[in-house]
Amino acid sequence: MVRQKGEFQIRWRTDLPYKWAIGKLAVKYFEELKKRKIMGSKCPKCGKMYMPPRGVCADCFVEMTVNDMAELSRRGILEGFTVVNYPFVDPNTGAMRPFPYGYIICKLDGADTYLMHFCDETDHNKFKIGQRVEVVFCDELPKDHESYRPELKGDIYDIPFIKLLKDQEK
Amino acid sequence: MDHFEGINFSELWTGIDACGFYLKPIVKIATGGTTGSSLGICGYYNIASGIYDKVMVVGWEKLNEGGATTGIITAFDPVWERPSLAGALGPLALMANIYASKYGVERSMKAAADVVVKNRSNAANNEFAHLQMPNITTDFVMSSQMISYPLRLHDCCPQSEGACAVIYANENEAKKITDNPAWFKGVSTAHYYTFGTDEKMYNLPTATIASKKIYKKLGIKDPVKDLDVAEIYEPTSWAELAWCEALGFCDFGQYAKLLDDGVTQMSGELPVNPSGGVLSTNPIGATALVRFAEAAIQVMGRGGKRQVPDVEVAMGMGFGGSLWTELCILGKDPKPLR
Repeated sequence: MVRQKGEFQIRWRTDLPYKWAIGKLAVKYFEELKKRKIMGSKCPKCGKMYMPPRGVCADCFVEMTVNDMAELSRRGILEGFTVVNYPFVDPNTGAMRPFPYGYIICKLDGADTYLMHFCDETDHNKFKIGQRVEVVFCDELPKDHESYRPELKGDIYDIPFIKLLKDQEK
Repeated sequence: MDHFEGINFSELWTGIDACGFYLKPIVKIATGGTTGSSLGICGYYNIASGIYDKVMVVGWEKLNEGGATTGIITAFDPVWERPSLAGALGPLALMANIYASKYGVERSMKAAADVVVKNRSNAANNEFAHLQMPNITTDFVMSSQMISYPLRLHDCCPQSEGACAVIYANENEAKKITDNPAWFKGVSTAHYYTFGTDEKMYNLPTATIASKKIYKKLGIKDPVKDLDVAEIYEPTSWAELAWCEALGFCDFGQYAKLLDDGVTQMSGELPVNPSGGVLSTNPIGATALVRFAEAAIQVMGRGGKRQVPDVEVAMGMGFGGSLWTELCILGKDPKPLR
């Protein structure tokens, strides 16, 4: 925060730990993610495939359980994008979110809803809605990449970002 | 709003200290971007139900304290949504790109800049507007800094500090206060949200649902003809394109033509945002109430330099974080519209 001339400020840092129950389906999702599987949940009534998975179909109000979960492709279609280019405090870390970064929604093959995530591309001219995209796992990255991790841990950063596929990779 | 300034019990400062409501019944309403329109609708319900004769409704925001983008992110799912979500502008930019890919990038970009020029030029007629840029041009807008492609700095609303207060009264009390009140004809609310990206929502389906509901209720066949002025909630220039289409002012993808024909200009058939809109002033907790209040000001003929001539019927719109829409339609004549 910028201190203006003559302004009095009090600053402090504090940890604010909390617990968040993610639900049975999300637990299953992250367990399967460690095995490099991306799981959605399919409504037993209307067949809509939700990604991320969740407990109730928004259209039918029918409950979905871990038995309704099925694997999705790691590839999909780019449905929306931007390149975030402004500073703000990230409430998940308490620090400034690094920018610029690519921010997209994509529909993985087999899913009926969209996944919101980072993209490693920051040149807005490179994005084309409708093009193919692919999920990237952290252990597949070069070792000197900032998002590299030697193994999957079962958290959201196992997939640090989604990459744009070049035309020939369709 | 508590969420943005990181404070609690804000109703005590505003209600008792600032407004002098000591020993009066006070209720705090905070629904994100729609806070102002939720307040506006609840004020109407309080009077229409007969519980109270007179109610004062206040919306306010001090965005200099705290951070709105950070506050907005905390409203979303910590596991799936928060890591990549960039407050309101990231998703609004993403939706703008979906709009552009459907209706043409160049055309939409030019139309978006036209929206900024229209609204900021209107703001120059409104002494309460935050940004005063009377000589703004499309070139100036289209060469400003890129904030989140395709949104440039001047495609975005400012962060404002401000407040708005509206007095509501029943039929008997209103006559004692003014000879010329604005009458509520109807209100409408629509929600459509289950999870961040289940739908693309770039064309704000809740605006379509809410507006169809209220038009049907009031017998409005063609909003451009039947409404005299609209104050809509446009946090970005691109939002005015897509959302005016969702409100039925024209077909999807056709708002650029409406702008070209001057329909939504001050001199047009349906001026949109004579006040300068959200693009000129955005104290979030007050913003949607300002839309309702500006609609009332137009109906009451108190707009001064921003007054549209002969307003009989006006619409105000609120929009909020989970992409919901709230509408009110106000009229000069106390009799029902149909």
